[in-house]
Amino acid sequence: MNTPQVDLRTGSGSEAEPTVRPVLGIEHLSKTFPGTRALDDVSLDIAPGEVHALMGQNGSGKSTLIKLLAAYHSADPGAYAEMDGAPFDVGRSVPAGLRFVHQDLGLILELSAQDNLALHGGFARGFGGRVLWRQQEAETRRVLAAFDVDLDIHLPLAAATPVQRTVVAIAAALQGWDGGGVLVLDEPTAVLPHDEVERLFEVVAAVRRRGTSVLYVSHRMDEIFSLADRVTVLRGGRRVGTYDVASLDPRGLATLMVGDDVDPDFRAGVVERTDQPITLEARGIHGKWLRGVDLEARAGEILGIAGLAGAGALELPYVLAGKAGSQASGEIRLPATSPDWHDVQDATGLEIPLVPADRQTEAVIAEFTVAENISLSALRTLGGRGRLSAKDEAALVASWSEQLGVVSAGHSAPISTLSGGNQQKVILARCLALDPQVLVLCEPTAGVDIGTRVSIYRIIADLAATGLTVIVASSDEGDLLALCTRILVLRDGVVAEQLAADELSKSVLIRAIEGAEQ
Amino acid sequence: MSVKTEERVVTPTEHRDTRRGTSRGASRLVSILAFDKIGAVYVLLAIVVVFSLWVPETFPNVTTAKQIFNANAVTGLAALSVTIPLAARVFDLSFALNMTLCGVAVAHFVVDGVPLVPAVALGVLIGLVVGLINATVVVGMKIDSFIGTLATGSLIQALITLVTNDTPISDVKLAGGFSKIGQTTVGGITLPVFYVAVVAAGIWYLLEHTATGRRLYAVGFNPDAARLAGVKVARLQFLALVSSGVLAGAAGIVLASILGGGSPTAGTPYLLPGFAAVFLGATQLKNGRFNAGGTLIAVLLLGTGTTGLGLANAPQWSGALFVGVVLIAALTVTGLQRRTTLAARAPALDEGSGGNAGEAPSDSGANVSA
Repeated sequence: MNTPQVDLRTGSGSEAEPTVRPVLGIEHLSKTFPGTRALDDVSLDIAPGEVHALMGQNGSGKSTLIKLLAAYHSADPGAYAEMDGAPFDVGRSVPAGLRFVHQDLGLILELSAQDNLALHGGFARGFGGRVLWRQQEAETRRVLAAFDVDLDIHLPLAAATPVQRTVVAIAAALQGWDGGGVLVLDEPTAVLPHDEVERLFEVVAAVRRRGTSVLYVSHRMDEIFSLADRVTVLRGGRRVGTYDVASLDPRGLATLMVGDDVDPDFRAGVVERTDQPITLEARGIHGKWLRGVDLEARAGEILGIAGLAGAGALELPYVLAGKAGSQASGEIRLPATSPDWHDVQDATGLEIPLVPADRQTEAVIAEFTVAENISLSALRTLGGRGRLSAKDEAALVASWSEQLGVVSAGHSAPISTLSGGNQQKVILARCLALDPQVLVLCEPTAGVDIGTRVSIYRIIADLAATGLTVIVASSDEGDLLALCTRILVLRDGVVAEQLAADELSKSVLIRAIEGAEQ
Repeated sequence: MSVKTEERVVTPTEHRDTRRGTSRGASRLVSILAFDKIGAVYVLLAIVVVFSLWVPETFPNVTTAKQIFNANAVTGLAALSVTIPLAARVFDLSFALNMTLCGVAVAHFVVDGVPLVPAVALGVLIGLVVGLINATVVVGMKIDSFIGTLATGSLIQALITLVTNDTPISDVKLAGGFSKIGQTTVGGITLPVFYVAVVAAGIWYLLEHTATGRRLYAVGFNPDAARLAGVKVARLQFLALVSSGVLAGAAGIVLASILGGGSPTAGTPYLLPGFAAVFLGATQLKNGRFNAGGTLIAVLLLGTGTTGLGLANAPQWSGALFVGVVLIAALTVTGLQRRTTLAARAPALDEGSGGNAGEAPSDSGANVSA
């Protein structure tokens, strides 16, 4: 493992040679699922005390690699792995020095920090199994002290901030292991708002000071450059290479990740058409986070909604679609159809379709087929007199899945067999099957790989060109820049700024979102 | 003789499947006859063979087949009454007590001299009211259906005791038209078997061929997603519980007619077999969806097994043991199948679990924090 394979196809960057014996070394790691080779002959080595980034798009094999290391999946035969010089059976056993913090953190939010740590590290117990609470509390404080976190260890973690939870998860993972070893952080910033990422970086630095190496999984480019020493890039289940971060620039790294065939700076180029009629108006929108938002959008416009977590940007789509529950108030109307204002509480009659933020829990019905998922919103229009026409349904499904380019093993395949991007297209098709005037999207490309992401951008842009009004709320500035004609920036539940997306740079947008006076 | 009986028992389901299969081609037929779709039919066939060999003098004949149909009709009605709520993943644990209540109520009315038709109508109305109360508690007051209908069941028990003083209602008046509802036979088959066929056909049509049925399944699988896709989740759950109230009430009246009187404990024995049949039925035909056809197969399978054990003079406890073993075995096999499918799906899930997709790689994004 001291001589990583050099991949000559990659033009930029230089292969990084570790100078000391790696703490974790893996060679020829493969994983075959029925029908797909998720990981193909991948090697990885991690030097002592380094932060080693693992990058790749969705579907590149990152998650599979992590799950193999965690022995969640078993590896194909032929792999070799060693930790601190001792070989281990990768995919079947996990060496003591290899610790994991998974993306969902694996915490029980109803329990306190102390209980969560004890569940991982064990309770201090006295005679008869009685828990020695005082000793337990001292231990909890000692473990957390290393990370300089200000947290009431007796309150349920639900009351803690996301970054505090992440710190507790890291502390729990590292319990009983002092120095050395490797901590695997799987997409730790996915659940963190922008302003808390810096805090996480400090914690990672603290972990590194203990002498523990970090395998940092992410697809956020900026984090890698401010945090990592080396980066291993995966693409399509293969290792593209391992590089010193210092020898790379963001552009080069992006190319390594996506290959040469996709433009990561895609712009849909939809132009704002002020001559078009207004198709959506909302006024006085309040909700859990929203504190009075007014907006209007025109036919053919793609209006972006941006904001930090808690600003209300991701709540607004649900309110506009009339699906925000009893907390929401405000009025909405579709001037092109009727001049009447509707309370958002009973705006479901307006039938504004919504692509929800969390595809797995809010959009996809996993037990349904592709066809059933698409037709769900439009069942009323299929057949008549109470009978659901299988023929009408098949026609509707065929038409939309062809139009959006849904790749599946057939319309009667379970939707869970589709990739994230294709599932998202199915949800889009479900919304469009209603033949709406206005479409509301929340996090439209979450968990979608770059190739499919661009094709989703194209679909949305084409729809706008035919006169559909699209509202896009996203915590991914890339979505907003790629799609929107106009962006409303929310801060503290109100519209703080309105930006024309033309010529807008990502840094200006992020500064507006954070409300910083830099 | 033996062959004839086997056909007899299996015919209702097997025949329909075969017909559907041939109309859409041989590959379709193979997939419909696959073990994971109709495993219970094969188990049923095996059971028929076993008992035909075990008790050749009493089991393999038409009388036994008819007896299996007749004896399990009420179980069928009971199981069908909770199929719709379960499709929407709502439990109605009060259904068995509801059966008892409607049975004793109608018996009570008839004994009091109320003419048969109004008495039965009133009984069904009571079932409807019970359904409305269940729906109000579960949907309106947002109490989990499992505990909510357990609570309303206790209320129903109180009413039953109030009406009957815990003593059976029996009277010569009950031997008249009232007993005909459940005891009339047509060619050796009692009327309740035909009721089962009608109700099953109705539920099959609702769940398979209407938008409402599709929406009920959507609510059952993922209520949040269904709501966000515009499905009126609360309304469907409400109607599902009302439907089980009415159907259980009707089943209870049929049961009282078969028993020839109002027993204050008549419905309770149907609680477990009813749920057992629905859950076993969900493993059949439709890959985990609660459905009418599967429920019928399950009722037949469990009924054939227990009847056969009875004829073979197996000990009393063997019937309950059989139901428990079959249910656990069926759900284990289904669980294994699902896990295998999930493992095959892992790559797709990996991709989906990305959660926050992060930023599109671009120069500007990195420069901000660099």
